[in-house]
Amino acid sequence: MENGIKIELKAVSKNFKKTKIIKEMDLLVNPGEFLVLLGPSGCGKSTTLRMIAGLESVSAGEVLFDGKNAQKMTSLQKNIAMVFQDYALYPNMTVSQNLEYALKVHKVEVDVRKQRINKILKTLDLIKVANNYPSQLSGGQKQRTALGRGMIKQSRLFLLDEPLSNIDVQLREKARDEIQYIHQQNQQTIIYVTHDQTEAMALGDRIAVMDNGKIQMVATPDEIYNHPRNLFVAKFIGSPQINLIAAKVNNNCLNKGKLQLVNDLKQITAYQFQEEEEIYFGIRPENIQLTAPKKEHVVGIVTQITDYGRYQQIIVEIATDLTLKVISNDTTTQVGDEVGVVFNTDKILLFDTQNGMNLN
Amino acid sequence: MSNSKNKLIPFLCLLPAALILSIFVIIPIGYSFYLSFFNWNLIAPTKNFVGLQNYYSLFTDPINRKVMVNTIFYVILLVILNFLFPYLISLIVKYFIKKMQGAYKIIFFIPSLFSLVVGAMVFSWVLNPVSGPMAFILRKLGMTLPNWTNSGVLAVVVLCLITSWKVFGYNFILLLTGLGSIPQNIIDAAKVDSIPRWRLIWNIILPLNKGVSIYVLILTIVQGLAYVFTPINVITQGGPYYGSSNILYHTYLDAFVLYKTGNASALAIVTFVIFLFLLFLEVRFVERKEASYE
Amino acid sequence: MSKSKTLGWHLFLIVICLIAVLPVVFMLSNSFKTLRESYHSILQLIPLHPTLSNYKTLMQEVNLFGLIWNTFFMATLVTFGKIFSSMLAASAFQYYDFRWKKTLYFIFVATIFVPFTTIMIPNYLVIAKLNLLNTVVGVVLPQLCDATGIMLFTKALEKIPASLLEVAAIDGIPRWRIFVNLLIPMLRPNIISIGAMFFINSWNEYVWPTLILKDKNSFTLPLALQNYISSEGGTNFPLAMALSSIMIVVPLVIYILFQRFILNSISSTGLK
Repeated sequence: MENGIKIELKAVSKNFKKTKIIKEMDLLVNPGEFLVLLGPSGCGKSTTLRMIAGLESVSAGEVLFDGKNAQKMTSLQKNIAMVFQDYALYPNMTVSQNLEYALKVHKVEVDVRKQRINKILKTLDLIKVANNYPSQLSGGQKQRTALGRGMIKQSRLFLLDEPLSNIDVQLREKARDEIQYIHQQNQQTIIYVTHDQTEAMALGDRIAVMDNGKIQMVATPDEIYNHPRNLFVAKFIGSPQINLIAAKVNNNCLNKGKLQLVNDLKQITAYQFQEEEEIYFGIRPENIQLTAPKKEHVVGIVTQITDYGRYQQIIVEIATDLTLKVISNDTTTQVGDEVGVVFNTDKILLFDTQNGMNLN
Repeated sequence: MSNSKNKLIPFLCLLPAALILSIFVIIPIGYSFYLSFFNWNLIAPTKNFVGLQNYYSLFTDPINRKVMVNTIFYVILLVILNFLFPYLISLIVKYFIKKMQGAYKIIFFIPSLFSLVVGAMVFSWVLNPVSGPMAFILRKLGMTLPNWTNSGVLAVVVLCLITSWKVFGYNFILLLTGLGSIPQNIIDAAKVDSIPRWRLIWNIILPLNKGVSIYVLILTIVQGLAYVFTPINVITQGGPYYGSSNILYHTYLDAFVLYKTGNASALAIVTFVIFLFLLFLEVRFVERKEASYE
Repeated sequence: MSKSKTLGWHLFLIVICLIAVLPVVFMLSNSFKTLRESYHSILQLIPLHPTLSNYKTLMQEVNLFGLIWNTFFMATLVTFGKIFSSMLAASAFQYYDFRWKKTLYFIFVATIFVPFTTIMIPNYLVIAKLNLLNTVVGVVLPQLCDATGIMLFTKALEKIPASLLEVAAIDGIPRWRIFVNLLIPMLRPNIISIGAMFFINSWNEYVWPTLILKDKNSFTLPLALQNYISSEGGTNFPLAMALSSIMIVVPLVIYILFQRFILNSISSTGLK
């Protein structure tokens, strides 16, 4: 099989009537890379994918396939495969026929066709339903057929638009493994759209977080989680959500009212703060430890405990307008306890209140 | 609420519809069937029982046979003009152009608003072999417009064209809606797989639109034969010598002009059986459509 | 898709638009020409000497307002009758369970396919027996119910979420109030579109009235128009076109007012 293709988006914009859906977007997807487009619904991630597929026109800018302008290429030249959210299986064709159709139209030899179909039916556990029509399939079988229809083309670029959002949670994990397996086998370039961060983290070599028609950050899952480039990424990634506190810089310290959140800003960042500057202090729930209250600690009262089995989510009220979410494995804490709060200094994130940029 | 009251409400709701439909549709079918075994003239106090003779004469009487053959000709023409042609146009509007689809819909439908009496009148002017605009234009080009009312075949063609003028927009909209209900994602999937447009239409769109198209096809035959009644009655009265008559018009002629009620009833029942068969096809194919979508 | 290719398609479609609309435009134009002018300037779209003489002649020859009233009265009765009977029947089919429900629904809807010639003789005999020949009631009576309406209203009711009515039922709202305060307002677009279709069809109705109405005083517009068309030739076309022009005003106005509703409801007749 040929290697994956390189995709570049250069200042791509998309307008629907007068609204700008995509605003001058730049993106590079390396050959053979698994890139996930992640964002809340309506952020333009599906539109971006459809523009790459050529299903939507590009209002401005260009989409390049291996450096060549994709708008001038026919879909045959582009050699792409795509899986749709609601599968878009041809209802009048059986599973095998769905897999075979595009190959047949493009005159792939019968032997090759049969061989590829059999392999995919086997890989995706579809042999038993090979002669069923889509209306006779379960959700998972439909999803696998859609996946198979994309795989069988052995294209250099594989586009997936929320392929797992319509199936049950139990099946989703299995399907995720299958997609990962496909990528390892074929080394094709994959662009995968989802709104599910767990899925994005599990699958992507890199993740492009999108919001409001713009890419907010492109990086590895680790980078995205631990070093979010801005406030949106910090808030969007991670569950339970990151704790954010608006605070003031005061003599190398960061204070919220009378509380001192950070006693040595220089230790965290090289950024030069102005005195009295207001910034956001962010800390993920798992980066907070609860201890017995001492006077050098920030002290609060436990107001709510939710037991998730694997961990506990504890809400600590520091002041009437200030609560913190904490993840802990300690099951001895009780509602009403007075606790001391210790932040893991390495993991503290600071953001500009004006433009939301990370200041670490 | 008491149980008996619960049963009474749906009964009362259905009553008006059920009364009208049974008195004026369902029972009359049976009565027509009954009349088809008699010789009668609609007025005389006595009816003569003649058994199957009225049915027998449908196939032996030359006029009846002519009318039957005409009916087949009508059906073929109606299917081409009122089904295949609008289908072709709806495919063009849906898949070959991008703009103005709404405008075409609105304009194409306009003739459907008007009485076929108006259509018959206007087209007998447009196609008047002496003083009509079409004859005028052809004369300028050195041709002549044949006097189509003198030829059964030409008269049938013109009468079908008149109904087609009225029905085209209606059928076009039905078929276009059918095409519109095919999920866009399926078409997108085919586009990504670079399926050529004609194969997309042939292999995917036409099979998926089968339900609506069979509905429209049957409607075209059932309503079309009824619709041509008006221009026939207004323009040719079935002439020349039954050349433009069809089974529906001949039923009317037998019943209310020639007062051959028995023959008319036999024709009426044969028409009913044909339509019943078409209804059976409709149920077979259109109802099945639901299963093929999820 | 190249620009020039779609342009070709557009030209083709515009020709079809012209075929659809031009006859009516010429009809309007001719209604303002004298018989002589209509012969001599056949393709003249705007009359050289516009005249109202055809309309004046019509006023003298026929009772124009009587015709319009008969047609309007008949169409109104038919429309209200059909709406009333089909809404009631549809709500019975949608909201109640009873024996033979599916069979009954199928039989009702199947009546759409019964050719009018099959039932025309018995219907004529019934109307004659009831002494209703030559009366509006005789024309209207068999048409007070329409299975198309039952089908369309049943489909419309299917789309109203059941939970909405369940909430009302739990709140103890009586059924007639649910019908009047909830169902009818929600069905308003359907009532408008189906009603408009019924009205236009009835306004244009020709075959059945021809059998029942023989007396000129009880004529409707289509029957009067037919009297102006001679099958032997020699039709006074400008005069017939004047009458036609009057006839098409009402459907045209309804279409302009409710175009979107009407097209939508036609669409829904074809879909399951």
